[in-house]
Formats: sequence, structure tokens, C-alpha cells
Amino acid sequence: MPMNASTDNASSPPPLLHLEGISKAFGGVRALTEISFQVASGRIQGLIGPNGAGKTTLFNLVSGALKPDAGGIRFDGTPIQGRPGHELVALGIARTFQNVELFGSMSVLENVLVGRHVRTRCGFWGALTRHAAVKREEREASQKARDLLAFVGLADQADSPSRDLPFGWQRLLEIARALAAEPRVLLLDEPAAGLNRVESDRLGDLIGQIRDQGITILMVEHDMGLTMRVCDRIVVLDRGHLLAEGTPREIQRHPEVLAAYLGGAPAAG
Amino acid sequence: MPRRLPYILFAALVTVAGLLVTNTYHLQVLIFIGINTLLALGLNLLMGYAGQISLGHAAFYGLGAYTSGVLTAHWQMSPWLALPVALALAAAVAWGVGLPTLRLSGYYLGMGTLGFGMIVFIVFREWGSLTGGASGLTGIPPLSLGPLPLDAPRSYFFLVWAIVLVAMALSRRLIDSRVGRALRAIHDSENAARAVGIDTHGYKLQVFVYSAVLAAMAGFLYAHFVSFISPESFGFMVSVRLVTMVVIGGMASIWGAVFGAALLTLLPEWLHAFADFEMIVYGLILILVMIFMPRGLTRGLIDAYERFHRQRIQPAPPAAS
Repeated sequence: MPMNASTDNASSPPPLLHLEGISKAFGGVRALTEISFQVASGRIQGLIGPNGAGKTTLFNLVSGALKPDAGGIRFDGTPIQGRPGHELVALGIARTFQNVELFGSMSVLENVLVGRHVRTRCGFWGALTRHAAVKREEREASQKARDLLAFVGLADQADSPSRDLPFGWQRLLEIARALAAEPRVLLLDEPAAGLNRVESDRLGDLIGQIRDQGITILMVEHDMGLTMRVCDRIVVLDRGHLLAEGTPREIQRHPEVLAAYLGGAPAAG
Repeated sequence: MPRRLPYILFAALVTVAGLLVTNTYHLQVLIFIGINTLLALGLNLLMGYAGQISLGHAAFYGLGAYTSGVLTAHWQMSPWLALPVALALAAAVAWGVGLPTLRLSGYYLGMGTLGFGMIVFIVFREWGSLTGGASGLTGIPPLSLGPLPLDAPRSYFFLVWAIVLVAMALSRRLIDSRVGRALRAIHDSENAARAVGIDTHGYKLQVFVYSAVLAAMAGFLYAHFVSFISPESFGFMVSVRLVTMVVIGGMASIWGAVFGAALLTLLPEWLHAFADFEMIVYGLILILVMIFMPRGLTRGLIDAYERFHRQRIQPAPPAAS
């Protein structure tokens, strides 16, 4: 049992994301089996596991890209399973992608402006008439987007074509774009993949700063150094099952986790 | 560079052309270029910006022409009352057709819109009592603004191009807005577009309706100019020609619509001299444009200009890109 469970629970904020008995199969392959866990508000929660453990599937379920076969997902008490992804962004769930999916034909600033989509209102008629409220909204969105670029350190790249950025900067841009939606939960899918040591350290700091703004973070990550450093809690998946859950310290000592990662039999005793 | 300057210059050019050109045939060609620009503009928004193909766009062109034609020729309705009916009908049909078909993508969307275009063509041809069938609909009245008749080519030229310029300005606004960014986002990555909260299907549907309304507007202008319409003007080959205008002119470019429409309107006129070889030369020119300007005339001309400019500044440009 966790050593510091009592102190941890006492100060535990209410769960923002609540997964209950989530199962998902593709054809005959069971990707996830009855996964239940919670993500506390204002925390950084890691999601780790060997390849094929179901991490990305779980992400796609929470972000609305897939529907669970069974079980429920609640966001701040509201059931969200099966709702289309674009509605979830408006509710406050934003995500990034493992392979970085930017809008390549647009500038860096425009990418973040698109990220403002759910926090702006201008529709077809507004665009055609371009009345005062629309102009004001454009100005505000543009200012907000520049602030976010400054936050991730890309302020001087605002007008560059996004596809010309080095990969590490593309990741930062994708995070800025996700933040532009003013999410309450940010889902980061392997944010350190493809980054060098320095970049991934800076990313760790950035993730901490995002949490300090009150944004809850759920991240899949293979870089154990980063995961152990920034995460408040970690959930371990293995072959579609929830293997363990706890603080980084607990996870590092968890015999079944060690077994799953090292591939051997569970350590005796 | 100030955004508006090219448009102001273009509007001035159009005005001067309208005042100086006196030859009726030339004015007619310019009017057809205007009508085709309207068609290419809507289709370019759909294809070039949102990345969705329509191989049945002539159907909306025909819906605009036939709705206004039938209402004015059969029931003596004022064209200015028939116009909103025509636009609303095209919009409603586009909505109904787009709702299921825009869930398709790529080749499948092409097939879906192709089928739609063929159905509409057959309705024009077979519903003889209303449309005049294969022999066409005659007696469509010319337009007039109150006491001011618009049937002279010069006044019609100004009417058509005023509408084209307004449509260009509106389309520019649309592209530079939150809506335009959403459309381009869908084109770049539908996955990422959904992930930032864009209702991709809803936006595709909206731009499909917008392009259908522009096409119906073009159909209205066409019907009341030529006063006689027949199904062939709105068949499959016309849809293909519209797609060609967009691709040749340049995708994702308002000027591309103008260039594409101008080239594909003028080419057949110039190529009459080749008589039997007309279609061969026509095809050859299109092939050559695509080989040497794969991103269309607009991009191609800008690139050529920049290359020329660079050579003048530094005679031996380095090999680096």
C-alpha cells in the first residue's frame, strides 16, 4: 500500500477527469479492459506503459476521437463519453499529438489563432460583414495568440511558416495552439518524443508552468526521467489493463511495474 | 504590401475596360469572363481553401439559371423577385446534398457530387413542361433597374462586374476571418482541426452552400443575358471546365479564379482559327500550363516575376533554394 496515502488523500483536490470501467476493443483485440482512474484538478498525471499498452487509445477516448465500448468518462461531473471531439474542446479538453499535427500551410501565429476557435464566435455573416465586434474579437485573439507564443518562447517566429520550424519548436507551437483554447485539461501525447536533452528539460519546466496556471495535465510519456520529474501521479497500463497507480516514487518501486518494463517474472517478495 | 491595393487597381481596370471597349463581341466575352469568375470563385473557396472537390458544380449554376428563367418566362415574375428564390433554392439543395456527401472525402466525394450533377442535368432535360426539355427554355426577359434597361452589353458588363467585385471582396473577408482559418485548417489536417474544436462537417457544409449561392448568382446573370438556356450549358463537361478553371488559375487564390476564368473563356474564342484542331490545341495548352506552372497561373506568374527580379539584382544566383 502507498506509504503516504493518507497525507495525499487529505489534500487531494476533487477529480476533474473520472474514468470508470472503460473498455475498448478493435475487432477481436481488446485494447483496454475496465480501466478506472481519476485525474485530480491542478495535477500533472502521467500515463505510462510498454508499447501496445493502450495509452494512445485511452487518449483518443478521453479526447473524443473514439467512443468507448463500455464504461463512462466524466469531466467535472458531466458524462462526456461518445461526444464528438470538437465539442469537448469547447468544454475545456485540449490535446496535442504524438507526431505533431500543425496546420502546415499557415504561419505560426495563424496556428495559434486557429487554436482560439472555440473561444471566438465570428461566423459566416460576421466574416462577410466584418462589423465592429468581429474586428475587436480579431484584435483580442491576435493579442492572446502573441502572448501564448511569448509564453512558449516563439514570439519572434510569429510570421514564419509553421512547416519551416525545427521539430522541437513545432512541439512548442502545438502546445501554444492547445493552450489557446483555454483548456482546463491538457492532454499531451508523448510531448518529449524527438526532443534532445536540453529541449526536454525546458519542456518539463514549461509543463510545470502550465500546471501552475491551474491547468490539469494528463500526459503519455516514454521519457522516464521527465515523467518522474514532473508528474504528481502516474498511472501504469500494461496490455490494456491498469497495472498500478501512485506517486512517481511508488511507481518506481512497484514490483509489477518493474516486471512489465524489464519483461521478467514479478520479483519474489 | 497593403492588401486592398490590388483590388482597387483591378476595380479601376474593370471600370476603364467598361468605358473604353465598344465592340459588342468583346463586351460579351468580358461578361462571360465575369460570370465564369463568379463560378470559379465559389469553387475555389470549396476546393482551394477547404480542400473539398465538387464535380457537379454546374448543377448549381443551372439551378440558378433555370429557377429564375422558369419563374420569369413562364410566370412573368420580376427577375429581382426570382433572384432570391433562385439563390435560396440553390442554398437549400446544396445543404440537402452536402449533408450526406460531405461526410465522404477524396474520390468518393468526387463521385457523389458527380452523381448529383448528372441527376440535376437529367431533370433539366426531362422535365419538359417546366424547363422546355432538350430544346431549351426561351423567352427569358432581360434585366432592368427600374426605368433603366440593362440589356445593352455595356450596362450588363457593369452589372456583372460590380457583382463579381463584391463577391471577390466578400470572399477575401471570409478567407481572412475565423471561418477562413477554420477552412484552411480542415484542408491542412482534419484531425488537428477537430482537435482544436472545429466542427469540420459543419464548416464544409457552409462553404459548400456559399459556393452554390455564387454559382446560382452566375446562373441568374447568364440566363438573363442570353435569354435562352438549354441543359447542355449545365452538364458534366461544364463542371469539369469549372474545376479546370480553379486548378489552372491557382488553388487557394482569389486571383486564381479570375485568371482561370479568363483563360478558359478566352482560349476557345482564340482557338477557332485552328478549326478541327481546336480541342487538341486547347488540351495541349492546359497540359503545358500544368507542367510549367503546377500551382496554377497565379503562383506561376508570381514565381516567374520573382525569378526575373532576382536575376536582375544578382546575375549569378547561388544554387541554394
